[in-house]
Amino acid sequence: MIALVLAAGSGRGLEPYTTFVQKETISVVGKPVIRYVVDGLVDAGIDKFVVVVGDKEEQVKEALSGVSIPLTFVRQKRKGIEGAVLDGMSEVDDEVFTLAYGDIVAPPRFYRSLMNAYLEGGKDAVFSLVPVSEGLSTYGLAVIQEGKLKAITNTGSTLALAGAYVIPKGNFDNLLDYFNHLIQRGSNYFVWSGSWVDVGYPEDLIRAVESILSNRATEISEKAYISRTAVIGRGVIVEENAYVDEYAVIKGPAYIGRNVYVGNFSLIRDFTSLEEDSRVGAYAELAHALVQPRADVGSKAYLSFSIIGSSSKIGAGVVASSYPAEVTRSKVEKLGCLISPSRQVPHGKVLEPGYRE
Amino acid sequence: MCGIIGIVSHKEQRASIVASCLRLLEYRGYDSVGIAALDVGKVEVMKTVGGVEDLLKQVDVDSISSSVLVGHTRWATHGMPTFSNAHPHTDCSSKIAVVHNGTITNFDVLKEELTSLGHRFKSETDTEVIPHMMEEWIKKGLTSWEAFKRTVQALNGSYAILAVVSGERRIYFARKDNPLTIGLGKGSNYIASDAEAFVRFTRRVVRLMDGELGYIEADEVRIFDFTGKEIAVGERVMEIGWSPEESGIIGYEHYMLKEIQESPRAVRDTLAGIRFDQVSEAASLIRNSERVLVVGSGTSYHAGLLFGHLLEKEGYDVRTLIASEATTLRPREGDVLISISQSGETLDVLNAVKNHFKKYNIKSISLTNRIESALNFVSDIRLHTRAGPEVGVAATKTFTSQLAALLYLKSLIVGEPTDYLEGAPAAVSNSLSQQGYAKAIGEELCKKSDMFYLGRGMGVPLAMEGALKIKEVAYIHAEAYPAGESKHGPIALISDGFPVFFVNDGERTALLINNLKEMKARRAKTYSVSVNSRIGADEEIYFEGDSSLAPFYISPFLQMVAYFAAVCKGANPDRPRNLAKTVTVE
Repeated sequence: MIALVLAAGSGRGLEPYTTFVQKETISVVGKPVIRYVVDGLVDAGIDKFVVVVGDKEEQVKEALSGVSIPLTFVRQKRKGIEGAVLDGMSEVDDEVFTLAYGDIVAPPRFYRSLMNAYLEGGKDAVFSLVPVSEGLSTYGLAVIQEGKLKAITNTGSTLALAGAYVIPKGNFDNLLDYFNHLIQRGSNYFVWSGSWVDVGYPEDLIRAVESILSNRATEISEKAYISRTAVIGRGVIVEENAYVDEYAVIKGPAYIGRNVYVGNFSLIRDFTSLEEDSRVGAYAELAHALVQPRADVGSKAYLSFSIIGSSSKIGAGVVASSYPAEVTRSKVEKLGCLISPSRQVPHGKVLEPGYRE
Repeated sequence: MCGIIGIVSHKEQRASIVASCLRLLEYRGYDSVGIAALDVGKVEVMKTVGGVEDLLKQVDVDSISSSVLVGHTRWATHGMPTFSNAHPHTDCSSKIAVVHNGTITNFDVLKEELTSLGHRFKSETDTEVIPHMMEEWIKKGLTSWEAFKRTVQALNGSYAILAVVSGERRIYFARKDNPLTIGLGKGSNYIASDAEAFVRFTRRVVRLMDGELGYIEADEVRIFDFTGKEIAVGERVMEIGWSPEESGIIGYEHYMLKEIQESPRAVRDTLAGIRFDQVSEAASLIRNSERVLVVGSGTSYHAGLLFGHLLEKEGYDVRTLIASEATTLRPREGDVLISISQSGETLDVLNAVKNHFKKYNIKSISLTNRIESALNFVSDIRLHTRAGPEVGVAATKTFTSQLAALLYLKSLIVGEPTDYLEGAPAAVSNSLSQQGYAKAIGEELCKKSDMFYLGRGMGVPLAMEGALKIKEVAYIHAEAYPAGESKHGPIALISDGFPVFFVNDGERTALLINNLKEMKARRAKTYSVSVNSRIGADEEIYFEGDSSLAPFYISPFLQMVAYFAAVCKGANPDRPRNLAKTVTVE
């Protein structure tokens, strides 16, 4: 079966970061968000992909380099999500295909469940649903009556469309109307109860790190250098050529990517992900933080609930205060900063909660 | 719900291959099993009551081998699980054999017509009309394929059907609202209720849609829709990559969530399947009794408590007893007993009924989810829920189905209309649509080690069931109390953040609010599931609807809280430690 993967959205909830970066290419625990989708679909039996891209086409291509299944890239010309699907569909030959959003972080079983429900449900449309309790207005919600999917609405339910569907080709100008049309004809659904994050806002990225690192066992590459006095806690993944300097404490769960440097006496607390080639100076403290490739966090910096863009430089002693912040889709009222790629935050600066640059 | 497998190959295969496939389908529930193989002159059928192991013990399945084999595990709905009701079913001449999953709603009309044409029926099942009708069409000169198509056209209801005709190396199939998937092998093809049954032999599967029929041969598969249009099989072929054991759940991560999700259907089927004659007989027995004794264990005990509570409100003298302790009560003349057990095999309940109450010659009524069970055998009136098989150890859809059946019975007893129960499936759906909040609460509770569930009136048994569920699957120590009792001791345990879950069915809200304030004053974290009136808990899930349907809003929500707490803890909610689905030891 062929999958149509959408990776052309403007990512408004993550602005200004997404002015520079396609959100599907943001690296989370060692791989770009879109790879979670594509790898999951390959595992579920998808053997061909059409990927709809926007003006950051090259970034998506780069993020998907190394995928062994044939990929066709289609540039989105028409507007909106409907335009993306219609543009992509011109490259889809099959009558029935999988439509997947490129910004979902979920384990492979999520996609396997979709295929299972399609295979055995006896209907030509299958919708994945997921229970949500925060940010309900940001999702399409499913109305279930007597065990049957009845409609997609905006209120009255906490079961959200989960971003991967098997649907037949059709003429649709409005995605929700088309979904409702399929539902009226009879469609199948399943409720996914495992980990699932729709990356739309900064807090989603922080939750994505948490959901991937939860319940992971400690894995330390033989090619990593861990100094004799460093302390490695539970659920810590250290990739090859990472360098953890003297007296650093990686409390975990945490991810230390390839070629990452963690300086002396620094404290890497829970649910922090340091992506490839990033650096954390001495005496720095990070928790619930996502540091993109090649970013540099200065000495004595304190970052929590924060996202640091690739190749950006956070000065020494920078403090990102995270509480109380307004969040859309998280129970935790904390949000530090969202720093776009290649920015420089001056030494000693104190950032207000929810600071974006 | 049943399991179906069919195999056609160039080479003859021993029938034990079917048994091995059926074993993989037993999770779908079974109480009888059967295999059919095509011999030269007729169809050879082997079947028995029980499971695949029972069949293997009773007959030498390998004494037959054939190139065309079908098998079936049956979970009884029409007719008891007896030898004659077990599938496959054959026509008068034993040349056609059929296995079927689903319900033929117009079978009585068809059966009457076929009987008048001289067909002799050997079972009580709805399925048997299919081979006889095929036989009738063949007699009239149609080919077996035409006969099969005509037969399927005449059927109303839901079905996955396989039919074999002696002398032909093919299996006919039809599907509507019941799963059926084809597997493409080399020199052999397969068809089954789910791909798990044949995934050892092939991972190339052909998806069937509702409203399709056709046939498989050893190297050919043909599919048509009901209008006769042929479907291109090639476009449907899929290569599945996942491991077979994951396909059984069909889309869900756990059976427990799937079964909670099936509750609206289970409640509806239970209400639709109620046999009015039996329930009204039970109602009149209770109405004319001096005292009602209700016996159950675990979840069934809680269903019984709720039933007892409702009857007491109507002035009945009711004693609800935990089965293992019930023998301390000496029945009196004029007592009537109602025993409740999901499986009908729970030893504590059986002992109480058989070894204790029966001695006093009191009339007894049973309520089970199995159409024939040990408990039914010792009861004077047998009532059933039709929740379908429940694979997860924790009772979920069977509990809401028990409540539906008991509420129906209670309404007949007190002489009120039962039509309000038509809203029960929708109430359950409504509850399920709040799953997001159940997940959020479950994830909060999974970090706690102890908690309370408090309620008043009808809320007490529901609170007890909520506490039982979270204990069972999420291993959180939970106690349920009548809320009024909480200040007579339990409140001593309340400290900062101690979770207290209020079950508010909307009847005694003012008193519950007082209890809630007492808890809040001691910095407890309060949760509530409320129907028709709010009590102001820190996290309050609120439903509006018919207050007599409150249990159908409350119970599924509490089940989901327990489910998500278990998942958050990393526990397997389908297989809680130390627990068994059917408790058959004292």
